[in-house]
Amino acid sequence: MNSTALLSAAKDGLLTGSVYALMATGLTLIFGVMDIINLAQGILVILGAYLSYALQVHLHIDLFVGLLITIPTMFFVGIVIERAFIGRLKGPEKTAMSILVTYAVSLLIEGTLNIVFSTNDVQLHAWYVDKSFALGNVHFAYIYVAGFVLAAALLSALYVMLYRTRFGASIRASLADQTAAALVGIDVKRVSTICFGIGVAVTAAGGMIYGATNSFNASTSYDLISRLLTIIVLGGMGSLGGAMLAGVGMVFVGDMVGVIWSPIWSSMSYFIVLTIVLVIRPQGLFGKPVVRVA
Amino acid sequence: MLQKKNLWWIAAVAALALFPVVEKNPTYMAIGFFTLVYMACATSWNMFSGYSGYISLGSAVFYGTGAYTMSLISIHANMAPGAAMFWIVPLAGLAAMVIALPFGWIALRVRRHTFVVITIAVFFIFQLGASNFSFTGGTSGLALPYITWGASYYFVPFYFVALGLVIVVTIISAALRRSRFGLQMLAIRDDEDRALGLGVKVTSVKIVGFTLSAFTVGMCGALYAMEQGQIYPQFVFTPVFDVSIALMTFLGGLGTLTGPLLGALILESSQQWLTISFSNGSLYLILFGALFLLVILFMPQGIVVYVRQRLSRKADLASASDADTGTSDVALSGGAR
Amino acid sequence: MNTKRKLFRTLSVTSVAAASLLSVAITSTSGASGSSLAAGAPVKIGISLSLSGDFSADGQAFKQGYELWAADVNKTGGLLGHKVALTIVSDASDPTQVVTNYQQLISTDHVNLTFGPFSSLLSLPSAKAVSRYGYALVEGAGGAPSVFQAGLKNIFDVSLPVANDLVPFAKWVTSLSAASRPKTVAYVTSNDPFTQPQVTTIIPTLSKAGIKSVYNHVFPAEVTDFTPIADAVAAAKPQAVVLGSVDVPTVSAFMQAFEQSGFTPKVFVATGGPDQGSTFIKAVGLKNANGMMVPNAWYGGSANPLSKKMVAEYIKKFGGTAAGVSSDVAEAYSVGEVVAQAVKATHGFDNAKIIAYLHGKHTMTSVQGPVKFNSLGMNVTPTAFTFQWQGKNFVQVNPVNDPNSVKVVYPKPAW
Repeated sequence: MNSTALLSAAKDGLLTGSVYALMATGLTLIFGVMDIINLAQGILVILGAYLSYALQVHLHIDLFVGLLITIPTMFFVGIVIERAFIGRLKGPEKTAMSILVTYAVSLLIEGTLNIVFSTNDVQLHAWYVDKSFALGNVHFAYIYVAGFVLAAALLSALYVMLYRTRFGASIRASLADQTAAALVGIDVKRVSTICFGIGVAVTAAGGMIYGATNSFNASTSYDLISRLLTIIVLGGMGSLGGAMLAGVGMVFVGDMVGVIWSPIWSSMSYFIVLTIVLVIRPQGLFGKPVVRVA
Repeated sequence: MLQKKNLWWIAAVAALALFPVVEKNPTYMAIGFFTLVYMACATSWNMFSGYSGYISLGSAVFYGTGAYTMSLISIHANMAPGAAMFWIVPLAGLAAMVIALPFGWIALRVRRHTFVVITIAVFFIFQLGASNFSFTGGTSGLALPYITWGASYYFVPFYFVALGLVIVVTIISAALRRSRFGLQMLAIRDDEDRALGLGVKVTSVKIVGFTLSAFTVGMCGALYAMEQGQIYPQFVFTPVFDVSIALMTFLGGLGTLTGPLLGALILESSQQWLTISFSNGSLYLILFGALFLLVILFMPQGIVVYVRQRLSRKADLASASDADTGTSDVALSGGAR
Repeated sequence: MNTKRKLFRTLSVTSVAAASLLSVAITSTSGASGSSLAAGAPVKIGISLSLSGDFSADGQAFKQGYELWAADVNKTGGLLGHKVALTIVSDASDPTQVVTNYQQLISTDHVNLTFGPFSSLLSLPSAKAVSRYGYALVEGAGGAPSVFQAGLKNIFDVSLPVANDLVPFAKWVTSLSAASRPKTVAYVTSNDPFTQPQVTTIIPTLSKAGIKSVYNHVFPAEVTDFTPIADAVAAAKPQAVVLGSVDVPTVSAFMQAFEQSGFTPKVFVATGGPDQGSTFIKAVGLKNANGMMVPNAWYGGSANPLSKKMVAEYIKKFGGTAAGVSSDVAEAYSVGEVVAQAVKATHGFDNAKIIAYLHGKHTMTSVQGPVKFNSLGMNVTPTAFTFQWQGKNFVQVNPVNDPNSVKVVYPKPAW
């Protein structure tokens, strides 16, 4: 294969990976602050995509403009889910329970989406989705570049919030140690709820880009959530930087494998990389080491 | 007292054994077969995940391995279709155990939360592998020798073999629970570091438990393959299987003996019936999801424990108001959480 | 009483009750489903279709075809004087469910006949399930070689066996003069029993004609983001692209990615997708569809008189144009026609007699053309055609010598 193929694959990996990084960051934030594994993250991305789809098809609102509506909507959805279901979970089995609860929630959402939108595959369209510009031999489709810029912007906004605002400080405190945070007067419950909302809100943006670059229906969520889970585990659960790096890294590796070897092994390489890394370093790239002898 | 309890188990087994005699409709026989398969798998899963607290979402790996073992052996050995294929079932269980050893070794070195995700990742490796390797038939799957038993009694042999599996795995699970090995697993669940400090060989206990739990699931996969006559990778390696048996166990009561049996009985038979009655797959998803939410939020420890607690509360009230002593055993509710 | 005993009593009673409830609540079946019907009684036909899940779009189109056939037959008095009643259940594209469905249809709903589901994946388990009851399974969408390798006697596929779908295309492209013939070709196919055999069949033909393969890869069936794969294909700059796709989303994703890469092949043929009529056009737009080629045994503009009648009725009932009618509709309709002819010839609904008749090397008619089965249940009469979108028309272009073929638009116009 030639250099154009390699460069194209690298470009694809980086651009698409940034979107996965965005979605994975939301997931790992939720885990880090609340010890909750949100299995519904995949279907929430699809929900965000369908919302953008509905806005565009029925109200003719542009995809990016529509984000002004979908992001707050998904934030609200996140708050509702947290208050109604997640917030009730307590005790030592909280994390295991959260897996089941969020899975049940995802079933509900999936069934509803199937009924409202049918199971036919759809894709988001816009005039710029098909157009591209060229740098040398490599073409950059506008939509992918826009997605990358959006992901980068949101991640930067997240960073600014976390490191420059007071609220962000309380999130980081809860991330580090919930008990200690509560002891210094941080309302951990409120922080948790808002974190969950933020974690879900990013799925609106991720969903729009995902929906514009993939054909999807409700059952696409299974593939999505399995990728997101592997990304956050690879990066280290609870580590934001880890999620970003792993998100971009995994997709990049997958695409390179696809072009160097064969697309058949692209997906598998995801999971094989994860397994290898975890054998060597069980806590992931940036996770907290487990203090144990076994 | 012990004998009376066993009597009820015997009555339950008898009822299940008589079911195919009473019920001739093959559709309901099929439901019965699948229910028994899930009862066996849930009990087997509970044997590791329930007792040790390490929730695994990768047992479909064993189910699929069992299914493919049955298919590959029966095809390559040119077996005549029929009852002789049942002999492959225990072999399939062994194959699943062989897979469980390296799987467990890799997966059990990490914390519980990461363990769940590794089991999911290994599951996808197997699913993708089965879909893309040629010896597994790729996405066309494998077609087993075609069994020509008549329609009206086709499911009967499968039903009884499955019933046998349920009985065997329940006995093993019960024996495990009372054994020293079982206590070690329970200790791991309650506090792994302390167990380690007390001298429990934590890693080998976990790996052995994990491997044991693979045996029955592998056998069930083989039964499924034999019954269907045709397997496809994405349907024997399916995430729905993993989550179903976990949910059934949670519904019934994680870590209890009867919990997984009850959970599977209720969920599998109702799921099969619902899908036959309401063809619309999406409505079923909503109902299922809603049911789980209700159970998990209001009966988080499962039906068995919930019932037990209500009964013990009633018994306490009764014995408090009674002047009589009544039999006040210390209820052996340990193990339920 | 102590709590443990109470608990076990409760649980055991529950299981006993559950078991007995299950048995009592169900009316046991007895007696075979009739091969003879009471006068005036409807003849029940049981069908499991993918109304949700991966194949739902095709499943819906199949449903339209079956229902159209049933309505037409009932307009002329039904089969042997009995009205046709279709019982259609959904299998969510799941092979376990499809087996349960057909069992339910036969043993509980007592259907007289069974029609096939959609896709080779589901046809084989269905045929095994219904053959235990001695039923025939006539279907229109299970043509992959794996379906016939099982050696079942009761399965009949009225549509073209897929492996030779692309042969007329291969013949045409190799018949072009050496100067105008494409020099390079990319083979990219989904890992699927429907697409792979088609593509592999023509590789030797094209390479013998000197068309060099610059990309030859299989991608997993569950891929959702085709861009990296399409980019790799585009980077190889093939002049011809043979895409093994099963549905519209796959082919439209490739087309979109090619457009984003600024790459237009001179020839672009896809094994599935462009034949889905209006679904395809809605996804890609008429301008992009221009020049896309697809193999099939039938299309909306077919000159076959039976087909013309069916297309007219379809348009009356569902709207749209002839080009917009999906080939799934014709496949389903043909199933009904073939079974109707077998029923008429055997004067009844006895499945054993129907199976014997269908194996009797008789040539039957259908909207897709003549139907004659070999001993494996494959339809050996139809020829494959290649179709192409030209402007807003969907026309037949291969085999080149066929009187109904028009000239191919070559090279493909830019996006």
